[in-house]
Amino acid sequence: MNLTLPTTLGWSAHLNLEFSQRQTQTYLSKREHRGPLVVQKPFYPGDGACHVYVLHPPGGIVGGDNLTLEVDAQRGTHVLLTTPSANKFYRSQAKPASLRQTLQVADGARLEWLPQETIVYDGAFVNMQTRINLAPQARFIGWEITCLGRPAAQEQFTRGECRQGLELWRDQTPLLMERARLSGGSPLLQAAWGMGGATVSATLLATPVQASQLEELRRSLCACLTGLFSMTLIDGVLIARFLGQQARAALEYFQTVWALLRPMMMGVQACTPRIWAT
Amino acid sequence: MPIKMLIVINMGTAMIDPGQLQLWRLISPMLPIGAYAYSTGLEAAVEAVWVHDESSAREWIHGLLTHNLQQVDLPLFARAYAAWQRDDREAVLGYQRQLLAMRESRELRQEDLQLGDALKVILKEILPPEISPQAPTHEVSFAVIYAFACTRLDIELTGAASGLAFAWCENQVAAAMKLIPLGQRAGQRIMTRLIASIPAVVQHALAMEDESIGCLLPRLAIASAQHEAQYSRLFRS
Repeated sequence: MNLTLPTTLGWSAHLNLEFSQRQTQTYLSKREHRGPLVVQKPFYPGDGACHVYVLHPPGGIVGGDNLTLEVDAQRGTHVLLTTPSANKFYRSQAKPASLRQTLQVADGARLEWLPQETIVYDGAFVNMQTRINLAPQARFIGWEITCLGRPAAQEQFTRGECRQGLELWRDQTPLLMERARLSGGSPLLQAAWGMGGATVSATLLATPVQASQLEELRRSLCACLTGLFSMTLIDGVLIARFLGQQARAALEYFQTVWALLRPMMMGVQACTPRIWAT
Repeated sequence: MPIKMLIVINMGTAMIDPGQLQLWRLISPMLPIGAYAYSTGLEAAVEAVWVHDESSAREWIHGLLTHNLQQVDLPLFARAYAAWQRDDREAVLGYQRQLLAMRESRELRQEDLQLGDALKVILKEILPPEISPQAPTHEVSFAVIYAFACTRLDIELTGAASGLAFAWCENQVAAAMKLIPLGQRAGQRIMTRLIASIPAVVQHALAMEDESIGCLLPRLAIASAQHEAQYSRLFRS
């Protein structure tokens, strides 16, 4: 790690990516960045999509950090974004760390947003907002996976606060607004009506999806997955949810759903990003 | 107690506020909107054995009251109420869209719209024909049309919000009594607990800032979505 952790103000990082279509290829037409939020060089594994890895700050995110990611998939583009490792929010002294992600998808564009999980350490104060703005003829599939504490290290989420928003809009109308507010040690984390002791909560959104495609998904998915999961379809938006103990299980569930949906929605076979295998 | 004084002394005669009578009518189980057909995820929670007796039913319903109702339905209801008072239909539509976008599953969204539609239909018999402005013609969320009715029937805000919470609790307890099943006395014990929390829930909801609106109860979201494919069921949600 060649970056030193700032002590008082925190990082202010910004990454702005714009994708355009030139004949049959999507390319990264603009990349502006400030601070430690960066991307690797785009690559083309042969599915027609432009694959990009977004790298979060290598030391994780701490209180006072303020990160924004803006993605603009312009008309006709096909973009797949993923992250090579989990995004980590560290413990902080009641100072919130903020991450704001805005994804714009234009008419005829296809965006796949497939990040690894976000880990919220015990004592972290997190404000993470993801908003997806779709044009009337845009296609989108994406997910957010949140892991509270580090169960593998016997670390529970006993202090701190995690505010998370996930919003999907089409043409100025909200299709889904999910706003979680989880306080460390609160009854909600353990209660039967809340998280029921689960530490990993995850949501996948995909649109447009038809009712017949949901039926096909339900038939194809085996019941051998562990944890709680569900699918529902509201006005063409598929919402798949997971609640369990393992971020890995959530990723596997969503990758399975994605692999089945991708040919139906995006017109191309699933081409698993190599980074997932490592 | 947030419900405003029931009795108004007028020239030495006790008179009830007419809005109160209208509120009792709107939250009565006799109001023909078919609320008894919806369990709002409770049937799936019973199927998952998260709810299985009086105490787990009490905790489940109380958890939803202090989270979903307090964080979503009630603050958006209050905003719709204020918007109806100034007949700002654009604002009403914005709150309705937010409310619907916060529904976790297809069934919860449908429940909201079907109850809203049923109330809209019966309001034709309840409201005087000359009221102005007229009811909305588009599909409408229950809290939004209930807010409309309350403003037209002179039901004050705190009482209207408390009534919304009370009717929701009573409907949940009735569903729990059928599903678990529980007896009448157990049902009343649960109501005692819920009623004790309603004033604070309403107070929080009415004072809420815009950015605090919203809530995610993942088990409710999952249970309700699974209910769509549940094999044997009594309820529509």
